[in-house]
Amino acid sequence: MSVTYGLTTRVATVNSHHIELLLQANGRTMNDVFSMLFGVFLILGTAVGIVVISYMVYNAYKYRETPDSEVAERERPQLGELPQGSGGGKKLAISLTISAVIVIALIAWAYIVLVDVEAGAPESEDPLEVQVEGIQFSWQYEYPNGHTTNTLRVPEDRPVTLILTSGDVFHTFGIPAYDLKADAIPGQTTETWFRPNETGTYEAQCFELCGSGHSAMESDVIVMEQEEFDQWYAETGSETNATTNNTTDGSATNNSTANDSTATTTENRLLDGPAPERQLAATTRQ
Amino acid sequence: MTSTKLYTVIYVVLFGFATAQVALEFMGLSYAVAVAGILLLSVIKAVLVAGYYQHLLYEPRSVTYVMISGLLTAIALTFAASYSIT
Amino acid sequence: MTEDQPRDDHEAQPDGGHTHRSLTEGATTTSTLREFFTRDHLPPMESVQRWLLTTNHKDVGILYLVTSLFFLVFGGVLALLMRIELLTPVNSVLSATGYNQTVSIHGLIMIFWFLSPFAFGFANYVVPLQIGAKDLAFPRLNALSYWLYLFSGVLLGISFFQGGSFEGGWTMYAPLNVPSYMPNIGSTTTVLALLLFVISVTMSSVNFLTTLHRMRAKGLTLLRMPLFTWSILLTVWMMLFAFAALLAALLILSSDRILGTTYFTAEGTPGSLLWTHLFWFFGHPEVYIVFFPALGAMAETFQTFTGRRLVGRKWFILAMLLVALQSFLVWMHHMFLTSINLEIKTLFMATTIGISLPFDLMVFSLIYTMVKGRIRFTTPFLFTFGGLLVFIIGGITGVFLGAVVLDYQLRGTYWVVAHFHYVMVAGVTALIGALFYWYPKITGRMYNRRLGKATFGLFFVGFNLLYFPMFIAWETPRRVFDYPAGLTPWHQLATIGGFMLGVAFLLVIWNCYWSLWHGEKVEGNPWEYATTAEWAVPSPPPLENFPGVPSYDSGSLDFLDETPEASTDGGTAVAGDQTHESGDHHDSHASPWPFFIGVAALVFFLGLSGISTGGIYPALTIVGVVFGAVSLLGFGMESFSVTEPELGERWPFEGIENGKLGVWIFLASDVVLFGAFIGSYVFLRVGYGWTDWQLVPHDPIPGLINTYILLTSSFCIVLALVAAEKNSRWGLIAGLSTTLLLGVGFLVNKGIEWVELFHEGIWLSSNVQASTFFLTTGLHALHVILGLLILLFLIPRAINGAYLDDERPVEYFGLYWHFVDIVWLFLFPLFYII
Ligand code: HEM
Ligand SMILES: [Cu+2]
Ligand SMILES: [Cu+2]
Repeated sequence: MSVTYGLTTRVATVNSHHIELLLQANGRTMNDVFSMLFGVFLILGTAVGIVVISYMVYNAYKYRETPDSEVAERERPQLGELPQGSGGGKKLAISLTISAVIVIALIAWAYIVLVDVEAGAPESEDPLEVQVEGIQFSWQYEYPNGHTTNTLRVPEDRPVTLILTSGDVFHTFGIPAYDLKADAIPGQTTETWFRPNETGTYEAQCFELCGSGHSAMESDVIVMEQEEFDQWYAETGSETNATTNNTTDGSATNNSTANDSTATTTENRLLDGPAPERQLAATTRQ
Repeated sequence: MTSTKLYTVIYVVLFGFATAQVALEFMGLSYAVAVAGILLLSVIKAVLVAGYYQHLLYEPRSVTYVMISGLLTAIALTFAASYSIT
Repeated sequence: MTEDQPRDDHEAQPDGGHTHRSLTEGATTTSTLREFFTRDHLPPMESVQRWLLTTNHKDVGILYLVTSLFFLVFGGVLALLMRIELLTPVNSVLSATGYNQTVSIHGLIMIFWFLSPFAFGFANYVVPLQIGAKDLAFPRLNALSYWLYLFSGVLLGISFFQGGSFEGGWTMYAPLNVPSYMPNIGSTTTVLALLLFVISVTMSSVNFLTTLHRMRAKGLTLLRMPLFTWSILLTVWMMLFAFAALLAALLILSSDRILGTTYFTAEGTPGSLLWTHLFWFFGHPEVYIVFFPALGAMAETFQTFTGRRLVGRKWFILAMLLVALQSFLVWMHHMFLTSINLEIKTLFMATTIGISLPFDLMVFSLIYTMVKGRIRFTTPFLFTFGGLLVFIIGGITGVFLGAVVLDYQLRGTYWVVAHFHYVMVAGVTALIGALFYWYPKITGRMYNRRLGKATFGLFFVGFNLLYFPMFIAWETPRRVFDYPAGLTPWHQLATIGGFMLGVAFLLVIWNCYWSLWHGEKVEGNPWEYATTAEWAVPSPPPLENFPGVPSYDSGSLDFLDETPEASTDGGTAVAGDQTHESGDHHDSHASPWPFFIGVAALVFFLGLSGISTGGIYPALTIVGVVFGAVSLLGFGMESFSVTEPELGERWPFEGIENGKLGVWIFLASDVVLFGAFIGSYVFLRVGYGWTDWQLVPHDPIPGLINTYILLTSSFCIVLALVAAEKNSRWGLIAGLSTTLLLGVGFLVNKGIEWVELFHEGIWLSSNVQASTFFLTTGLHALHVILGLLILLFLIPRAINGAYLDDERPVEYFGLYWHFVDIVWLFLFPLFYII
């Protein structure tokens, strides 16, 4: 698994490729932008934090009471006086302006990136569209040919659009290695996309507390070479109507309590697709 | 006595408006117009009750503002939430 | 009734609704009981009775502080359980559901049952002292708030013994929160406990708002209020509206759980999004609700211990005001990953960033206050200083979350956990500072200084050791017990920090306990440069706080004689006889009823939690209702007198007395409650397709008839009031009784309509249309029923001749009743016609 953990590694992996991507006009994925954006926020955030906190601690030290502090050096507050302030408005205004400029600039930049990410996968690259459904406590993937499985297999270097919903409760789908995350909400669909750029097995996981099996609501994401994928995909196409056996290869962890409701609510999902078959898929997971 | 008279007039108006709301429904107006009319009548009725029966008109204006801010809070929630639906 | 000239503000005013001390009931059981229970004098501090009976704001403040510290320990134990579980990256100690319960209840307790009430302990104790009031506006209501808070916490504790407590996180996302996914009774109990807590909060808000606006000392204009008081004022304004939205959410959830409505499972419509909207509409203001008091405490201690007045005081206040207003316009930043559209994301990103800027200003203002100061590093200052320091880190990491793209990735991870602990526990840190700051005031003794400083060291190191590693290990998903093995060392560090922090909390509590006996005695004011009024009276202050009438008229605090000549030449004219009357008037400070109502509420809600399962639950519910009715009656009949101050600053609510203002403020929160219900209806209907939605009632005529009935009843109440003013006893009785009859008519008509619908097989759980129809109009009917119960209380008393000299109870009731009428004016078209 080529997942990098921790802040430092995260920033350290930022390279010229990312910078190129940041200047690129469109077609960027979260994965392309996140590390860079996060890195810049981190560096600036740390800098601001250090400056402000040092200034604060320095002043606290400088103006600490010492035996020879001048008591009457200036007017001090009196018990029972009407509360009042002591000037300093200008200094405040300046500090506020500086911090406002930093914050607004950062956010504006992040916003431009956002609009780009939200634009979705470029149609020109013929994205693969996969429907994802969260069901306590596993993920189901449905391919355009109707094939349903618990393991997400995708080809390398081709954009993948995920269309998410939930068959029962609120889940959040995420593949940390690709900085990808979206809510899976019953009765709603959300969309996100990524561009798998390295073959291997990754992990998808649930990020919204969804019940007893939440911690283990994971599934494998396998990025394959294009040919390998095509071959696999062709096979699934020929057995469209007997796909249910495929569902055993996921990491489905099941809890029996909610299975009845699962099976029934699946029928009501907004996703289109051959309903009876999906219902079967849901039940066989027991 | 004048105040009792005023209260009575308001009562009659309220009664009439309530009837008018249902009448509007059956008048064959377009849906949007009917809805607008019906809600407008409700608002007028509410203002009459609050202003006169609850004496809001005679209380410090700030009390009215408190009520209006409660109303705005609810309206903000309703509109933003409904608008966010995709 | 012509109301041009303000009603006289200056007479003795009970807060329960009736005015006559000599009752004509005769020697009924209730009056014997009443005599038995009524106390003119509070028992001494050492007796348990004192604490059950007291309505004094200082006692209630202490009760809040002690109780909330208890919940801190409770929540802390849960936290440490989680930290132990997280020592290893795999499941070890707790079961899966056990962990989920621990996470959920830890969050709920810390936010609701610890942090807010802890802050309100100080608010209770200090605010009346700071503004120069003898007590809150409605002391009995204040005691009632406390008891409801305590018993809601007890109810939460009980939930663990009903097949497990709530497991869905403190955010209680739908539809996991409904019985099909979370069937145990304990989770219903948790929801009801929170509901009870919200009721307590709402009463507190009304009480504090009335007090803060109407009971300030002369010369203490709003802008002149001390900053802690300012922070509480804004907190309670936010509480009033935000908690009303939560109340709506919880009522709907309870109904989904108990009655089987289908709001949050609504198919094809975004039922689960509805929850997120309602919850976060409350949830974001809540963030500031828990933090503002800490901010106020920081401002106070910074001024005192730096010996400098706050830099940019006016800007500081303005910034808080802006934040308070804007806090209601940022809620969807918690929903960036949901299916909301890009336009609205943009809007909420902008408002979110906007709201962070005033905080910058406040932080700078506190920092600049230190410049040129004479800073004394006492324990309270160390804690508030440390609190500010970690708050800065919390604030910076929050900007990350405001940037939508980053939020996409950080959401649901330990980045969020680290961030909100840096913010919220910063608040806790500052409030611990406040505890040490006001400790000598409350107890008359100084805490142990050396232990205090040492504790701060441990606290600060523990805090950072606990939460900073969470930033580094941010890729851990939130609320899971197995995480990537590579992150283990960071989590182990955090656990060590957690135990250090836990010990530090215990040391704080130990210090307070130990010093009660061994601390060095403090007379009045131990803090040089403290300015606020609480330090100008003995420590602890006497029962009624001040040696005279506090006034800032001369530019600084003076205590005027109790019968001031000043009052006659001041702007507020006082009729001579009333001055005389209030001169030798004694305020009450004790009542047993708040406690009893609290017990009744506990039993009632416990009964409700399992009412659909049978067993002892229905019986408990009935016991709760009966006991509650008796207690409320006792509360209503008790003679409990409170004086409104004769002089004072009341902007912007001059010319309206405390009781009436209280009713209005309560109604404002009710507007938000109904608003949220109507908002939910509109939201679901828009999601469903506005015009595809089918109205539940087949024809509008029963609704129209009910409109007529309510309008007529409103008119009758107006006539009753006119009659009371004209001293016409029979007119009054006729008006009230007709209203009663019309109200009953309304309910009967509605009953017939509902029964017909039931016969057709339309039930609350049939579909989302039926759910919204029955629940919304049902909530309204509940308001009608409450109104009728009040009428049943008023009418017999009217027959005995009450309300002729003082018709205010009738007037207040009218305000409520007309409000119920107005709500119907909107429900009728929404649910019957359009
Ligand atoms: C001894 C001190 C504390 C420790 C060791 C601690 C630890 C934790 C841990 C481990 C979690 C679970 C994170 C997760 O899995 O989602 C958590 C969650 C939480 N904590 Fe604390 N905490 C402490 C104090 C506090 C305090 C003082 C507050 C509030 C003022 C607080 C508020 C919360 C909240 C709101 C959650 C989120 C629960 C949820 O999202 O469901 N904690 N805490
Ligand atoms: Cu899940
Ligand atoms: Cu928020």
